[in-house]
Amino acid sequence: MKLKTHLWDGLILFIIAAFLIVPLALTFLYSVFTAWMDILPTGFTLQFYTQIFTDGAFINSLLRSLVISFVPVCICSFAILLVLYVMTLYMPKLEKYVEILCNIPYAIQGVILAVGIISLYSGKPGFLSNRLFLLVGAYCIIILPYTFRGLKNTIGALNVKCVIEAAQVLGCSQLHAFFTIIIPQMKNGIISTMMLAFTMLFADFVVVNMIAGSAFRTAGIYLYQTMSKSGQLSSAIIVILFITTFIISTLTLMIQNKAVVKRGKN
Amino acid sequence: MAYIEFKDICKSYDGQNQILKNIHLDIEEGELVTLLGPSGCGKSTLLRSLAGLEQIDSGRIILDGEDIADVPVKKRGIGMVFQQYSLFQNMNVEDNIAFGLKIAKMDKNQMKEKVQRAIEMVDLIGKEKSYPSELSGGQQQRVAIARAIVMEPKVLLLDEPLSAIDAKLRRELQEKIKRVQKELKITTIFVTHDQDEAMIMSDKIHLMKNGIIEQSGNPVELYTHPVSKFAAEFIGHYNILDNQQLKTLLPKHNFNNHYYAIRPETILLQTEPIQDSNMYVFEAVVNHYISRGNVLRYTLSCHDVIIKSEALFRSFTLFDEGQKVYVGIEPHNILEIRD
Repeated sequence: MKLKTHLWDGLILFIIAAFLIVPLALTFLYSVFTAWMDILPTGFTLQFYTQIFTDGAFINSLLRSLVISFVPVCICSFAILLVLYVMTLYMPKLEKYVEILCNIPYAIQGVILAVGIISLYSGKPGFLSNRLFLLVGAYCIIILPYTFRGLKNTIGALNVKCVIEAAQVLGCSQLHAFFTIIIPQMKNGIISTMMLAFTMLFADFVVVNMIAGSAFRTAGIYLYQTMSKSGQLSSAIIVILFITTFIISTLTLMIQNKAVVKRGKN
Repeated sequence: MAYIEFKDICKSYDGQNQILKNIHLDIEEGELVTLLGPSGCGKSTLLRSLAGLEQIDSGRIILDGEDIADVPVKKRGIGMVFQQYSLFQNMNVEDNIAFGLKIAKMDKNQMKEKVQRAIEMVDLIGKEKSYPSELSGGQQQRVAIARAIVMEPKVLLLDEPLSAIDAKLRRELQEKIKRVQKELKITTIFVTHDQDEAMIMSDKIHLMKNGIIEQSGNPVELYTHPVSKFAAEFIGHYNILDNQQLKTLLPKHNFNNHYYAIRPETILLQTEPIQDSNMYVFEAVVNHYISRGNVLRYTLSCHDVIIKSEALFRSFTLFDEGQKVYVGIEPHNILEIRD
């Protein structure tokens, strides 16, 4: 009976793993062969990868994607941490209202958000009509629910009020205690939340295309423009983008684990 | 003039639920005082008011001659140990203890010396680099104590610090806290709902009920002379009898007060008639008994009046259930108490 259950568990896991990995594996195969007319592809080559890495435009678009994804994540996370600080220590009754406010973006699709922001701000004087500024703002709205939920759950697991009171009695101000004691304790939660938000923005094409336009070439836009030229080349870009995200995730995990190991050694 | 004076302290939540009702309390320098009482009686609120973590509605708090009601928490010079330890999980033992000294920008060498001394005082040598998550509950609470005393506070506040710790470790920590307090001669206020703990720890106990001080005194006074039904029930396992019940047991005697308290261990039980003319004597039947380690607790009945008696567990004093016994009580052990 137990063996049968294990078999079912294994089978389900296998199906899910195959569902996730097979498209990626096929994309990779497609990017390293020149032709795929029969069952197996023919003409192994790395020319598409060489072509991508020798094209400075791709590297620039990749860096642009990294920056334009990272900046809103930092802004949004910092703002929510401050909101959580005020909410936890001074106005716990506001929590339900903040929660409703932060959940509204769940209901707004990217296209609607982009159109709304453009129609509201385009033509406005000063920095408000700056497309990059609008893009950062839009991205902050998109990741708001995820960031809020992640950080709120993290802070909820800590006894913030009591720890801050202990620090206060020792002569520390509340804000200082929040940044020197509470936030370091939230480190893993903050990193995970930021990582989730980052990957969401890194993969975006719709909002950046509508707000910043195709002149602001992020990796997504670059991929879109390449798709009409060559299937193999766009497959190679997809693989590179996947590897980039994978490296960032791995580095994040390593940073998290390093702290745990350091504690374990002491 | 006392070292700490609470004068007419009132505190309520939402303007309705009054937690502290005109509290007057004096604490002398170097004393270990316990605020004892059931949950919700206001003992922690009073302690937190002294620390500045709760704002009082009215009244004055004087510490060492200075009114501190409006002094911010961080400037009150008070050390506090919380029930939940409240250690900083991102810092090791050494850094936790040094935290307050770093905030005060103390010289590094002096700081190191002080931290080391505090670690020695609470027997945490060898655990300096451990993180709170690697320590037991007792060790964590010792770190919290070290973190508080290293600041050399004017007053040390202990808010039910041992309630989350198992019985054996609790006894060890009670002794350690008492030893450290005597060594540093630090004025200490201890909050607990455990009357045994209060008896062991305190120079003086203030028993609280519904936001007022019900009775104050040293542990022996409080135990032997409770003034009210509440004090008698909370401090010991007193038999509380009204005058009708007492008249049922002792019809030949007059009892004019409404309530009386009798300590179970002052009740003498014998199978033979008691000849002592200085005792009130009556007959009763043993309903049942339970053993609490070295003490046997008998439940007796006499004309529907239930009496509890306690005796040291000696084989020759065992009485069977249903057995008739003679009960003797010295008159001075029948205490008049108020409702």
